Amino acid sequence: MNILIPHTWLLEHLDTDADPKKIQEYVSLCGPSIERIYDIESDKVYDIEVTTNRVDGMSIRGIAREAAVILQQFGIKAKLKPNNLPQTLRPETEVLPLPKISNDPKLSKRLICVVLKGVQRNPTPEWMAKRLLQTEQNVHDAVIDITNYVTHELGHPCHAFDYDKLMRTGGEINVVEAKAGEKFITLDANEFETVGGEVVFKNGEGDIIDLPSIKGTANTSIDDTTQNVLLLLESIKAEKVRFASMTHAIRTVAAQLMEKNVDPNLAKDVLVRGAQLYQELCNAQIASEIYDDFPGNQPLKPVEVKLETIHEYLGTDAAGKQVLTTQEIISILEQLECTVTSKNQTLIIQPPSFRPDLTIPADIVEEIARIYGYHKLPSVIMDTQIPTEKQKGVNFTLENRIKRFLASIGLQEIYSYSMVSEQIALQTDSLENHLKLQNPLTDDRIYLRKSLIPSLKEILDQNSHISDLSVFEIANVYLPKKNDLPNESLRLSIVSTKPYREVRGILESLLAQFFVTNLQVTQNSDTTGTILVSENDKEIGLGIVTMQSNNRVAIELEFSQLLLILKTHPTYQSIPKTAIVTEDMTFTLPKKIRVGEIMKVMSEVSTLITKVELKDIYNRNYSFAITYHDPKQNIASDDLKPVRKKIVQELEKHQGILVGTV
Amino acid sequence: MNLEELQIKIKTIKEQLKNESIVDSELLQTKYLGKKGSFNDLAKAIGQIDPEQKKEAGKLLNELKIHLTETIEKLGKSPKKASFEDLTAPGIEPKVGHMHPVSQAMEEITQIFERIGFSRARYPEVDWDWYVFESLNMPKSHPARDEWETFFVEAPVDPEKGKVVLTTHTSNGQVREMERLKSKPPIRMINIARCYRRQQDATHTQMFHQFEGLVVDTGINIQHLKGTLDYFAEQFYGPGTKSRIRPFHFQFTEPSFEVDFSCHICNGTGKINEEKCKFCKSGWHEVGGAGMVHPNVLKAGGIDPEKYTGFAFGWGVERTYTLKQGLNIDDIRLLYSGDLRFLEQF
Repeated sequence: MNILIPHTWLLEHLDTDADPKKIQEYVSLCGPSIERIYDIESDKVYDIEVTTNRVDGMSIRGIAREAAVILQQFGIKAKLKPNNLPQTLRPETEVLPLPKISNDPKLSKRLICVVLKGVQRNPTPEWMAKRLLQTEQNVHDAVIDITNYVTHELGHPCHAFDYDKLMRTGGEINVVEAKAGEKFITLDANEFETVGGEVVFKNGEGDIIDLPSIKGTANTSIDDTTQNVLLLLESIKAEKVRFASMTHAIRTVAAQLMEKNVDPNLAKDVLVRGAQLYQELCNAQIASEIYDDFPGNQPLKPVEVKLETIHEYLGTDAAGKQVLTTQEIISILEQLECTVTSKNQTLIIQPPSFRPDLTIPADIVEEIARIYGYHKLPSVIMDTQIPTEKQKGVNFTLENRIKRFLASIGLQEIYSYSMVSEQIALQTDSLENHLKLQNPLTDDRIYLRKSLIPSLKEILDQNSHISDLSVFEIANVYLPKKNDLPNESLRLSIVSTKPYREVRGILESLLAQFFVTNLQVTQNSDTTGTILVSENDKEIGLGIVTMQSNNRVAIELEFSQLLLILKTHPTYQSIPKTAIVTEDMTFTLPKKIRVGEIMKVMSEVSTLITKVELKDIYNRNYSFAITYHDPKQNIASDDLKPVRKKIVQELEKHQGILVGTV
Repeated sequence: MNLEELQIKIKTIKEQLKNESIVDSELLQTKYLGKKGSFNDLAKAIGQIDPEQKKEAGKLLNELKIHLTETIEKLGKSPKKASFEDLTAPGIEPKVGHMHPVSQAMEEITQIFERIGFSRARYPEVDWDWYVFESLNMPKSHPARDEWETFFVEAPVDPEKGKVVLTTHTSNGQVREMERLKSKPPIRMINIARCYRRQQDATHTQMFHQFEGLVVDTGINIQHLKGTLDYFAEQFYGPGTKSRIRPFHFQFTEPSFEVDFSCHICNGTGKINEEKCKFCKSGWHEVGGAGMVHPNVLKAGGIDPEKYTGFAFGWGVERTYTLKQGLNIDDIRLLYSGDLRFLEQF
């Protein structure tokens, strides 16, 4: 959460001569981050990010308190000013009766209020309006604005009830949990129905008369006719506030503060300061004693920290290299208003009531370290043991080599979204076979994809001005599993406008980089095939190839299968001592022939045949280069005659007709 | 002619060829081995030789023929003299593609951390609430969860591990890495992965990448975190780049830090020639979060927080990468647009 703090308002609580730039620099280094300084209404205004655990910093006084400690650490004069508020308030006129209040200590840690009589509807004075504008709050009139002003100044939300309206509802405040289905109307005239479990104020008849710590209801809040005010602060349990606020999406400033454990001890100061402002600005008179029911008035649990632990975290010593003395440690904690006792190298730390975030030794370590200054600690790379047990089933070096190789031979790597539209998902599988997001942000990102190909096809379409384009991506697809996380399967996909043989050639050259040369494709239909390699007489499927519309070629490989076959080095074959003979043969083959299968047939004709390559296709004439080799002796042309004949015979079985003679 | 005369003539022909000024092998072929060439002339003369010496003469002639053939062949292969080339003509490039900038960044990040003993790991992108939030000291309905705009997946809720979510950060790898190592430090992990958050503008995309570092061992302290950050900053952005940590709050680290790197344009001063540096906020760039691993997280991973300490950090790959000097990417949505006009520049 961010809070806006005008410099001059801050100086009402902080005694310092540091200029805004210095305050920004030093406070950011050791405390909340002052992200920007604005010039608003001829004053500097700090925009400060306060972390969710430090709701004590969500006020002018809270920031002043932090700044005082930090600035002193940098040798700058800084002191938190005393707030000079009276301890209590006394009725100064005829007493008006307080409502009958019944708190449930399990729901509210404190309930404190006072009656203010004869409230005049004066305009908000200029000085207060200026500060509200500087902190981006709306200006209404003084009766309303006082509550926002004191909340911003001191950090505890408060609520002004219309006293007479409240008394007309029966003059009772009962702090209870709502049942489901109860209706209430907020002060801005929105109607809600409870789900059950929200903490509410009810009157004697069981009507909801306030949504405490979140928002007032119309039946008791201030309106144009208000004459008397009941100023009230309660301290509803944080998780209860969060529950009701989130359930009904009423995210007021009050709710956002109270759900983070605002210190109930602040409540009286806020009440007194508020009452003073009503006296000053609205000529109100105190018309009751302070009602204060504070069942949650207990000190926070002390934290025990061994000095050793502190030094362990900081890499410091009490004496020696990086010195941080016990005295320094205690002094920092005391500046932060902790009470410290030490016993046997252990510190027992009593945090102040506004620091409920200090619960474990590491919390204490953080306080010491940040105030001491992280910048004072040296930078050291650890000299501890390097782990050797690597994760199995991953090979990031290989992934990168594949990416680099494909890029170097002309392919463009793509990163596309894992979530796809209904239309894209349907290209792979039916919608119910996809994982679906419960709360997608946009229509085009709803389903977790089961293939990369449709996404890459889309990229080709988007770049249709490029006629020759091949793209690839390495990413997970998500295959649903019953009652379990999906199987995240890493895939390598290539989609290209190039002819099939060139795309297959890309894949072949990729595998050859990793010493795999026996890629095969078995045809499953006119437009689909399975990519595999055989190893030790076993066929290992790698993935699929499909022909897409506009003759685009798409390949998708399973990365885990690639990991099984890719090699880091070849097996050396001794350089042949006998002659290698290569001859060409041309056959006329029938339409829709699967030439790969024909070539397989050819290569199996004789053990002398070491390689069959497709050299050229002209009309239906296919020219092959056939390589012969006998490692034991040189092959003579006559030796090959029977082999050639056998090839012709075998091809005739597949309607292949030799062009020329053997 | 006797053998002696023949030998002299052979020698003369060899000398002649050796000193030949002609470089064209075809011309040489004609001159020495052609029908009317020097070899044929000499061979005709063999008839005049004493029959007893004929055999020897034939041998000598055969040797000469081999010598001439081989020498001419060799000369033919000798480099041709360079001739005029228009060196001002533009080049013709081979077609090359490009690795995606995010891949390039991830590769560089991985290598930097590997040099100081980290190993990269990979963990699910679709994970249980337990690993993404709850084991990281973030109980259900904790306000800290608001910071993560979480995507939920339509799937049955596991009674122990909760809902299925898209990982909002790489920190789900923390407890998973502890489990992988059977809760036995040392741990020095780098986890780089896709992450997802429900937000979209010029600096946010629904999908992005983070890298997460996790170190757990005995005696790991804040100085080690600082050392690791400084090392990375220098390696990734260049010598002289510094890191700094400032207080922050995360549920899964304590103490928690925000990490800044010094601006390499203005050397961390926030000023260039007395003018405000346009590239940074007062000399520093915020890159992400870090902290000492919270004892509850160690416990969730089965590690004794009394015995071990650790640090963790997690930053956006895109954010870290786009801070590189002179890169000037002002809209990170471009990275995932698939627009070749953008991608071809990397």
